[in-house]
Amino acid sequence: MTDVHTPREQAAAQGEETVSFGITETEPDATGSGAGTGPSAGWLRWGWRQLTSMRTALVLLFLLALGSVPGSVLPQQGSDPAAVQQYYASHPALAPWLNHLGLFNVFATPWFAAVYLLLFTSLVGCVVPRTFKLAGSARTPPPRAPRNLGRLPHSASFPSSLAPGAAVDAAAAMLGGQRFRLRRPASGDDGHWVSAEKGYLREAGNLLFHLALLGVLVSIALGGLFGYKADKLLVEGQRFSDTMPALDEFHPGRLVSGSDLAPFSLTLDRFSASYLRSGESRGQPSDFNATVTYSPSPGAPSRTYNIRINDPLSVDSTKIYLIGHGYAPVFKVTDSHGNVAYNEATPFIPANTGTFLSDGVVKASDASLGFMGVFVPTAVSVGGTLESAFPADDFPAVSLIGYSGNLGMNSGAPQSVYQLNTAGMTKVAGSPHLMLPGQTWTLPGGRGAITFVGVKQWVSLAITYDPGQVPALVCGMLALGGLLLSFLVRRRRVFVRAVPAASGSGSVVTVGGLARTDASGGFEEEFAELAAELAAQQKPEPNNQSEAGA
Amino acid sequence: MFRAKRRTVVTVAAVAAVLLAGALAVTLTAGSGQASGVTYIGGDNSQQVYSAGHRALAPDFTGTSLTGTPIRLASYRGKVVVLNFWGSWCAPCRAEGPTLAVLSEQYRSKGVSFLGDDVGDTTANAVAFTRDIGIGYPSVNDASYSIVQDFSRVASVGYTPTTVVIDRTGHIAGLVIGKISFQSMTTILNDVAASP
Repeated sequence: MTDVHTPREQAAAQGEETVSFGITETEPDATGSGAGTGPSAGWLRWGWRQLTSMRTALVLLFLLALGSVPGSVLPQQGSDPAAVQQYYASHPALAPWLNHLGLFNVFATPWFAAVYLLLFTSLVGCVVPRTFKLAGSARTPPPRAPRNLGRLPHSASFPSSLAPGAAVDAAAAMLGGQRFRLRRPASGDDGHWVSAEKGYLREAGNLLFHLALLGVLVSIALGGLFGYKADKLLVEGQRFSDTMPALDEFHPGRLVSGSDLAPFSLTLDRFSASYLRSGESRGQPSDFNATVTYSPSPGAPSRTYNIRINDPLSVDSTKIYLIGHGYAPVFKVTDSHGNVAYNEATPFIPANTGTFLSDGVVKASDASLGFMGVFVPTAVSVGGTLESAFPADDFPAVSLIGYSGNLGMNSGAPQSVYQLNTAGMTKVAGSPHLMLPGQTWTLPGGRGAITFVGVKQWVSLAITYDPGQVPALVCGMLALGGLLLSFLVRRRRVFVRAVPAASGSGSVVTVGGLARTDASGGFEEEFAELAAELAAQQKPEPNNQSEAGA
Repeated sequence: MFRAKRRTVVTVAAVAAVLLAGALAVTLTAGSGQASGVTYIGGDNSQQVYSAGHRALAPDFTGTSLTGTPIRLASYRGKVVVLNFWGSWCAPCRAEGPTLAVLSEQYRSKGVSFLGDDVGDTTANAVAFTRDIGIGYPSVNDASYSIVQDFSRVASVGYTPTTVVIDRTGHIAGLVIGKISFQSMTTILNDVAASP
């Protein structure tokens, strides 16, 4: 916790004057047994000091990074619940254990929050006192010049043609010109000297780093409290308004409610996916393009935009990303009386993302009919089985299995739109039935009919709002800047004393220098240059300059 | 001298940190505050009744019914309106449909009009639903959820189905989130229909 001093610096500090760097080096002993406080207060202070120490902060930061590893390696409930289910299926023994440890929802686990909050407290406890200290040290003038400058790590001495007062004045003018902060003896004080200090930016950089780090944490917290993430599946031609019931999934921050959603509305006009038609990577996608018309708020004029991968639409501060796509065959179902009971583009979910062979269900509850289907964009028969040869809709076909009876929806229990509960239903004879666009399958027994009208495409949109994103970036850059400053800038002091020369005319000038030892080197050279410059400035007739340096 | 100063600094920092942590903990754990003037029927938040003076103005809308006739909410001013947000794809909506159909007949004489707001649906599916369930009152086509969006700004319309009761002055007097029950609706309706 305390800074390590070199013997030389300690020797220097033993001088009459205080030559320490004030605050950063006056870390008091951390015994915590101050007079007049009980043992519990001592323990509290000890605990607080441990928590706010740099070492603890680093350990916590490391733990935070370590904790995020499973969050990025394992599937997460919040971002991809389907992948978690898949993981359960493929690792039936391991998954429950991981779940006990909260590894499928790392960022919401109490242990992650504990590390996060402790780090936050540690940083606050470290930075706040430092702010006060820097403010104090910025006001404090450099210390008085030590009496014996020869005992400082760097010193030089030379004769000057000027009288002691004038020699120090000249030195002070030169040091002041080099943006040193100066201190001169008070009136009536002994001797002629000047103290100069430079490099306050080092501490400022250090502080900036800490404050910016705090800012990063606050930014992340902002995102967690006020941000949200939502998913919406939209078929070509469909429009939706950004409101909770319209969203397929909604993951709000702690302080987000439905009325905080950006009030935009958006229509998917057209989606196109291009695929490579030849070569080794035939079938690989080459471009995705979702053309949308949107209105930032009700009544505002509409605009169009092409959403592509990595080119999201920004509406105010909300970003809308294209994260998936698929086919939505359009079906029309008529009931036993010939009434239309269902006419809708029905999103099918790709089971094979290479060929876009997709699964889906049609629920015509009002005709007491349900269908489980397989859609293929480019139909081929592989040994009698329907397969897809290419992801583009070159030759679309569906194969349907029909069911008649009660779909169980009127009981009120919410159902997945991608699953058909066939418990109370009977399979229709003639299933599975292969259909091409425009074809109608008239079900046996006068149960009704289904027409495969055509094919549309759907896109999956991720709607995200993260108010902490920009502040986190800015703070990250500030932290880097602060770190660089604290690495590159050295806090250093130069003292100049002048005494009348023995000969009676002129004076002998002694220069002493002191730099932080844990800073990067280079002060020796700087000091030597300074001393040489001073000596040259006041050069007497005969050149009698002493060696400079430590 | 320095030590004393440092101790104050540490104390100030400690107090600040504790306050910050406390504030953070409170904001993390606290749910959204519940407004005054709201009665929660049945102990949960699914049925809400707002007393007079605490009622938000229902946003007006114009739209087209499933059969193609224009509908405007403001034209219902002077009547109590039960506005039911539903979709043919929504299982709880199918389950509550018959109850709404019965209620709409029972309360017609008391100056209560029923109106549906059909969300995320196609007209063909919605018409089949009303025919199958036997819904006699009109529904406005709101496939894009734009009316829902307007209502979500003033009331907790965040789920399908949600049923909103609008008083004679066009203010939201109460709502039921999720499947309605005969009892919950009559509790709200008797109260709202009785007042002028």
